[in-house]
Amino acid sequence: MSKLPAVSRRLLLGGALATTGALATGVGSAPDAAAAVTAAPVPRRRPGQKSMVDVPYAVHRTVRVGVIGLGNRGAGMTTGWSVVPGCTVTAVCDIRADRAKRVADGLAAAGKPRPAEYGGSDDAYTRMLRRDDVDLVYIATPWEFHYAQGKAALLAGKHVVVELPIATELDELWDLVDTSERTRRHLMLSENCSYGRNELAMLKMAHEGLFGDITNGHGGYLHDLRELLFSDTYYTDAWRRRWHTRSTASFYAMHGLAPIAAAMDINRGDRMTTLRATATEPKGLADYRERFVPRNHPSWKETYVNGDLVTCLIETAKGRVIRAEHDVSSPRPYSRINSLAGSRGIFEDYAGVLSSGGGRVYVEPDHSGHSWRSFDSYRKEFDHWLWKKIGDDAANNGGHGGMDYVLQWRTVQLMRAGLVPDIDVYDSAAWCAPVPLSVMSLAAKGRPVEIPDFTRGAWVNLRMGLDSRATEMPPVV
Amino acid sequence: MRPAGLIRSLGAVVAAGALALLPATASAATPSVTPSPSAATATTVSISPVDLDGPAVSTVKVTVTNAGPERMRSLKVSFGGPVGWAVQPSVLQVDGSLAKGASAEAAFRIQVPERRAGFTVRTFTATATYRGGDGAGSATGTRTQHSGTPLANLAAAYNNVGVTDESDTKPGNYDGEGNSFSAQKLAAAGLRPGGTVDALGAELRWPDVPSGTEDNVSAAGQAIALNGRGSRLVFLGSGVTSGASGTATVYYADGTSGSGSFGFPNWSFDPADAHGATLVASSDGRNRPHGYGNAGIAYRVFAHSIPLDPAKQVAFVVLPGNGNIHLFDLAVAP
Repeated sequence: MSKLPAVSRRLLLGGALATTGALATGVGSAPDAAAAVTAAPVPRRRPGQKSMVDVPYAVHRTVRVGVIGLGNRGAGMTTGWSVVPGCTVTAVCDIRADRAKRVADGLAAAGKPRPAEYGGSDDAYTRMLRRDDVDLVYIATPWEFHYAQGKAALLAGKHVVVELPIATELDELWDLVDTSERTRRHLMLSENCSYGRNELAMLKMAHEGLFGDITNGHGGYLHDLRELLFSDTYYTDAWRRRWHTRSTASFYAMHGLAPIAAAMDINRGDRMTTLRATATEPKGLADYRERFVPRNHPSWKETYVNGDLVTCLIETAKGRVIRAEHDVSSPRPYSRINSLAGSRGIFEDYAGVLSSGGGRVYVEPDHSGHSWRSFDSYRKEFDHWLWKKIGDDAANNGGHGGMDYVLQWRTVQLMRAGLVPDIDVYDSAAWCAPVPLSVMSLAAKGRPVEIPDFTRGAWVNLRMGLDSRATEMPPVV
Repeated sequence: MRPAGLIRSLGAVVAAGALALLPATASAATPSVTPSPSAATATTVSISPVDLDGPAVSTVKVTVTNAGPERMRSLKVSFGGPVGWAVQPSVLQVDGSLAKGASAEAAFRIQVPERRAGFTVRTFTATATYRGGDGAGSATGTRTQHSGTPLANLAAAYNNVGVTDESDTKPGNYDGEGNSFSAQKLAAAGLRPGGTVDALGAELRWPDVPSGTEDNVSAAGQAIALNGRGSRLVFLGSGVTSGASGTATVYYADGTSGSGSFGFPNWSFDPADAHGATLVASSDGRNRPHGYGNAGIAYRVFAHSIPLDPAKQVAFVVLPGNGNIHLFDLAVAP
């Protein structure tokens, strides 16, 4: 999509909402440094509006997918959807019509039914949403479009999978929650890392109690994207780099935050209550540009305001602490951190060569002597049934080490079997809330900001999630 | 006083239907596997069987029966499972009061993980606090459920190399730092592969395995099958780092169990009687990763024991969950 909408003032550096919120609590007196900034009141449900917690999908014999956004991510995932048993891609859409045609050609060449093509305008997706042969809409457009397209898909009666983040502002997150509840359709974040093999094994170990009582976890998205951000082709119209010129947010920490939240049963017995953010100076992109980008490149007109390392410290109702980091503008090897600790042990991912999967572990009473142990045997014992069942298929069909395919296979299975989603709109909203809340906290000089309870009280109830029971994919007739 | 009728959670809003509203009834309790100590007039707390077919969220019922002479008031019931298993809620309050002989039932939900392969022991605990009743103020009930089959013997649980030959010390890692006993020096102290060791009235056996192979167990809650009847269960081993102590649980053939705590001194630096242990053998020096060393310093093996019910046949023992305890053998002493 080439046309960028006007950016909300609330996401500008030192955003208006953040300033308003911070001052509102301190009018007439010196601000209380310890007091949390209230983000916004919890909106009431409309009469008749009900929770989507534990609401199963209606049974779909075949899941028919419509895709919006066919750039690098969308095109790759479209292939993934097309190879899941019982799933077919019936429509594809991109503002650039040639992309829709190219993806449709590719599916047809692979022996799949040719999907209908939509494109040529920024509202082409609305025509696609009118189709009655689309059950699930997958959205992989630039961030600024996710909310509007996700909401429109819900209102059109579709279930929705949205790439990160589902929305960038609090009122948008609430609106997606409400729209999901009113339309009785599910919307989920396409949080593929929650289906990572190490992440799921870590989750199952947490539930077994190997870490004891969980006290803290760390995750993040630490990915040197500088080369891609300055590429003239990778992110269409440099949409992702532009975000670094206009927002201080922790844009994309969900890949690290969500698996930790799952292991802490966030929205399933615990909830995130406050967030406080810090940010380092934005040095990385400007330094890279100075060294590697020609002076006639359009980026030289830009000023970067997004801190290189944005760190969110999140507290939960049960007194746990999560550290969620975001850094895509510094030179460094890739990491999502993915560490979980409790009263009896700790797991750390991305820890080098101690194990084939990259993780290391130390849990009592299995271990003593203050030395890390390989994660291999634990990953084998606590391997999630999804990886045991479709791990080979995932390796052959999906990107990101197979996580994409596992997410897609599982989503289709849930819809075809009529099961409750592993990830629902409440999880998705909670995991994306740090995007606007980090802006608010930074504007308030790092003061804690209240994290809304998108479940409206249902978080206290234990319920199933990503640590699911093994079930079969319904046979394809 | 109002009769007991309303059970509510403390400290959190709970969705309707999550908790059972159960009237007081006479003695509807489900017996626990290991009931709390009881006399005819003592309050009893029992826990219903827990469905361990996870991953799942299971419902557990706790029944509190007032066997005391007075009405029971201000009753609160707490429930917990193995560490790390989430419970909802953690405490329930029973409004009103319980007449003598009446019971109240509280429902809790617990997150049950996927069943682990091998042998597992799961212990659940419920505690009632109250006024009146038997006057004790509190009572506790436990339920222990186990699944799987214990390991055939201690050798099947070997997970550590504690003895190496002085000509090849690299395989050793008794202490987590690559050090191990010297086979030559142990032999000089009387400990040879397959040899008998008499300690604390038991006849134990030194591991009959070649040097440089797994020969001892770093305790981690393993369940070990064991036959015999006697007065004490004797452990042969020593500790590494510090704090090498813990509780072993003995399960008898009749389904009952008992437990006892024991500990070992560090293999080198603690006093020889630390934790009440008895010195069995002392070897000179140790094998380091690159050869024999630390001559002149004693590296030691100890014995310790826990009591058994001599009237009962032992079926298996669950070792302490403390990896600093290293065991070379265990045996029943008459």
